[in-house]
Amino acid sequence: MSPAWGVPRVCSVIGAAHRRQAKPCQDASLSRSLTGGDGQTLQLMAVADGHGSSRSWLSQIGSELACAAAEQAVAAALPDTPLADSRAWRQLLQRDLPLAIQRRWQAAIEADWRRRPEGDQQPLQTVTYGCTLGLVLLAPQWWGCTGLGDWDLVGVSAGGEANLLSEEDDDTAAGEATASLCLPQAVALCGQRACLEALATPGLQGLVLSTDGVRKSCASDADFLALCSQVVALEDAGELQRGLEQITSAGSGDDVSVAIARRAPTQGRGSPRRPWRAGLILLTLVGAGLGALSLGQRPATPPAGLDPVVAQEVQRLCADPTHLRANLTPRRAQLLQLLRDPAAAQRMLASPAQDPLGALLAASRQGQLRGCTALEQQLARLWGEARSATQPPNGKMPTPAARSDERPRAGGRPTAAGSR
Amino acid sequence: MAFPNVRLSNRPLHFIYLCDCSGSMAAQGKMQALNQAIRQSLPGMSEVARQNPEARVLVRALRFADHAAWHLADPTPVEQLQWRDLEAGGITAMGEALELLASVLQSPPMEERALPPVLVLISDGQPTDDFEGGLARLMCLPWAQKAVRLSIAMGHDADLEVLQQFIGPEPAGQRGRSPRRPLQASNATTLAQYIQWASTAVVGAASMPASQVSPASGSPSSSPGANIPLPDLPPTLLDPSDDVGPLVW
Repeated sequence: MSPAWGVPRVCSVIGAAHRRQAKPCQDASLSRSLTGGDGQTLQLMAVADGHGSSRSWLSQIGSELACAAAEQAVAAALPDTPLADSRAWRQLLQRDLPLAIQRRWQAAIEADWRRRPEGDQQPLQTVTYGCTLGLVLLAPQWWGCTGLGDWDLVGVSAGGEANLLSEEDDDTAAGEATASLCLPQAVALCGQRACLEALATPGLQGLVLSTDGVRKSCASDADFLALCSQVVALEDAGELQRGLEQITSAGSGDDVSVAIARRAPTQGRGSPRRPWRAGLILLTLVGAGLGALSLGQRPATPPAGLDPVVAQEVQRLCADPTHLRANLTPRRAQLLQLLRDPAAAQRMLASPAQDPLGALLAASRQGQLRGCTALEQQLARLWGEARSATQPPNGKMPTPAARSDERPRAGGRPTAAGSR
Repeated sequence: MAFPNVRLSNRPLHFIYLCDCSGSMAAQGKMQALNQAIRQSLPGMSEVARQNPEARVLVRALRFADHAAWHLADPTPVEQLQWRDLEAGGITAMGEALELLASVLQSPPMEERALPPVLVLISDGQPTDDFEGGLARLMCLPWAQKAVRLSIAMGHDADLEVLQQFIGPEPAGQRGRSPRRPLQASNATTLAQYIQWASTAVVGAASMPASQVSPASGSPSSSPGANIPLPDLPPTLLDPSDDVGPLVW
């Protein structure tokens, strides 16, 4: 059986600022191919980012040990867990692997501390080695991730479209702060980021895992996604390293790491656009009257009169609702702008091709949108948060930029703004 | 295949002065000292910006007396900044100043990728308007919560409690010197030292922040304002309340 994934490529480059300050690179990355008891290959890629503050003065070692601990924990679980058992792996990613990784990491940093002169004089503070960790597993039947901290995971479709699949919640991070493997609640935080997706996901061509220095170096999220969509096809390791050096020099100055996985070409998956075609055919059938299928969730049926670009965006988002949150959450600033400046919606809708998702948000603001249930729920949540953010402390809403019928109905299922 | 060519950008670092321009600032040369201190700090600030090309240091200034208004409205690259003197006269609309500040600490106009801003509040008196309301309006904004907030009390009539509220609560158990308390300047020399410290050492720290363990952790580093570890105060000062030079103000 041919492998479903190529061997992931990883690269870590010292940040321009760290180089100037003669500090070490505090990022680490790792790629491994492991073989299960059934002879199938499990690819693993990981990135870790040491905190680098004065309290975390050994975090460059902490990040190396975190990647090693991840590999060891996965290797230990693999013989007893068939890769075909995706339910078991989902559970592993949510709880058992994070627990094993944290224990192994803790033991490794304790051993390192004992070898140091300081180890005789003072007890270990785990924050000394504090770091983030992002881990992605690539099996023939699925891919999954877990970890904690400010890493990003982007999926790239066969058509070259990039979507943010996982990022750190604002609730967990604040400003330059991030979750850490040294926290007592690290296992629970990993559970929040854990996911497992079957490879039936339409059109997934590759995954790009990166430390925060990459995204912070890009002028905007759109640039970051464009970078991911193209870098997934990059073969030349030297070119990757030079590109990352350019990123940190012209960008954030932070250490930068990427881990890139690409689906291996297999028979029956030669045409990159085929999955999209299948998805479009399915959506067309649904739109033509098969909507009576009991799917539990109302499918996307954009109303007549909706701009075709926006309608296509609705269908794209609804085709894979598991990624709705990651796609929409980075647009919070745009929602706030739409709330404060009603004319912005007109501008976005006037040229939807420039920013289809922005036009979709503008349409939802103006009550022109009807999407699938999951999309409506996510939009309602984001609009609610945006309105809360613009709400003054006295609890009164600002002068009615928002129509009363655009607010989610109290007590009922949240719906998109004006969508019903 | 070549490496993707996408737009890269260093990260803006907004540095904003909030200056009390009430009538009392005209007394005993306080306003003159403030103008002088800010002007003299600019070369050092430019040098720090030059040493940290990953950050784009942009300066603004807001004055408040009878009303609050922008003295330097456009975010101005520090190397292009030419300081215009502030003038004193009026009462102390500090609450209105915080409201005005809040209007620019939202996204947009704040950039997604911006570094936590540095906000320096300088006052010699007590607010005469709704300070609490202005502060509440400001502090509901994520950018204000993430900001490095410092305050400088000019003279002994300054309301230290109000200035402490602006900074946020001091970390528990902290004794002795701490920039997380209002810095008390009782003469022009000390004021200049504090302004110099804020515009160089603090800007340097904020330009290339190391990751911190998340405040969600409840760890010691999660105290308010610990997002950017503040550098030590100028070495001549053993404590923010220990002044050097004569007591003038």
